[in-house]
Amino acid sequence: MSASLASECNEVKEKYDNCFLRWYSESFLRGTATTDECKPLFDQYEKCLKKALKDRGIDNMIKEARDDNMENDAEHMKPRR
Amino acid sequence: MVKFYSSSDTYNYPFSAVTLAYFLRYPNPYSTHVLSTDTIARHFDPVTQRLTTVRLHLKRSKLPSAVLRILPKSLLGASATGDTQAYILEKSIVDVKEGWMDTESQNLEWTGVLSVVERQSFRRPVTQAEEDLKMFQGMEGAARRHGFITFASGAQVEDNGETTDVTSTVTLHSHIGEKWKKRKAAGGVADEEHKEKTGFFKSWTTGSLQSSIELIGLKRARRSQPNAKEGMKVVLERMREGGLVAVLEGMRRDRETIVGHSTALKKRSNGDDVD
Repeated sequence: MSASLASECNEVKEKYDNCFLRWYSESFLRGTATTDECKPLFDQYEKCLKKALKDRGIDNMIKEARDDNMENDAEHMKPRR
Repeated sequence: MVKFYSSSDTYNYPFSAVTLAYFLRYPNPYSTHVLSTDTIARHFDPVTQRLTTVRLHLKRSKLPSAVLRILPKSLLGASATGDTQAYILEKSIVDVKEGWMDTESQNLEWTGVLSVVERQSFRRPVTQAEEDLKMFQGMEGAARRHGFITFASGAQVEDNGETTDVTSTVTLHSHIGEKWKKRKAAGGVADEEHKEKTGFFKSWTTGSLQSSIELIGLKRARRSQPNAKEGMKVVLERMREGGLVAVLEGMRRDRETIVGHSTALKKRSNGDDVD
């Protein structure tokens, strides 16, 4: 698995990634998913990561890029058929 | 004054495998410059069956010597040899019912100097999608057909002749020397850059400077795009040969290589951290 930006998040990231891979291949790709079963693990991972991003001062940079993208998304990410 | 790179290709793998490989593409032997990958947001919509993912990659990069010559070091935040790191934000949406995945990646820093936006669009060929739709509408075996992967049994890719079309575009845009709209967090940077222009860039017209930087970016995109594709193919090949287990094992080995590289790099630069 890929490493986390923050080594202290590696453990929880790996747990989440494993859960996601299983859910993605066994439920999502088969079109049988009803909920994101890995959400609780993601929340733990996110908590760790949020702190790491803030500590590195890149949380605002990400937020701005995502805000800027909102309008672009409507254009570029829509289904084309 | 925007430069543009575009290519299209067909993967000899089913759409679902390609989307999985996209999420698992780092690390691979062609991406030893990718230091980390984190998922920062993920949303599944059960109604549309769409999955939206936002990830953050940290890549080690070496600035082209041409850029090093053009830009003052104070602006680059790179070491004397041009070693630096770059954050890349990637957004993707997968629609498994309709059979498409759209992705968009962009650099987070120095977007004024050069903004690089890479978009990829993966499509299950239409006839296939139509067939699949029929199968979804009640035919038996749809789950089995789509379930090319079984985690427990090692996630094999069935070689059933399915393909996936992909188009990639890279848009390069430099705003250097412009008084572009100041962003809150980057306000200081914009000011500083404008000041630099009057000194260092005096001999350049804004247009020629932008054009030169975009061209350097374009050359780099032309070089790196085939590698990115090869990286995906390595991951897909591993999946075909040994399933998810083989992919994860390959990633583990590639990650060790990366760690080895980083250590060697740090040693070489004698503790000159490029962070």
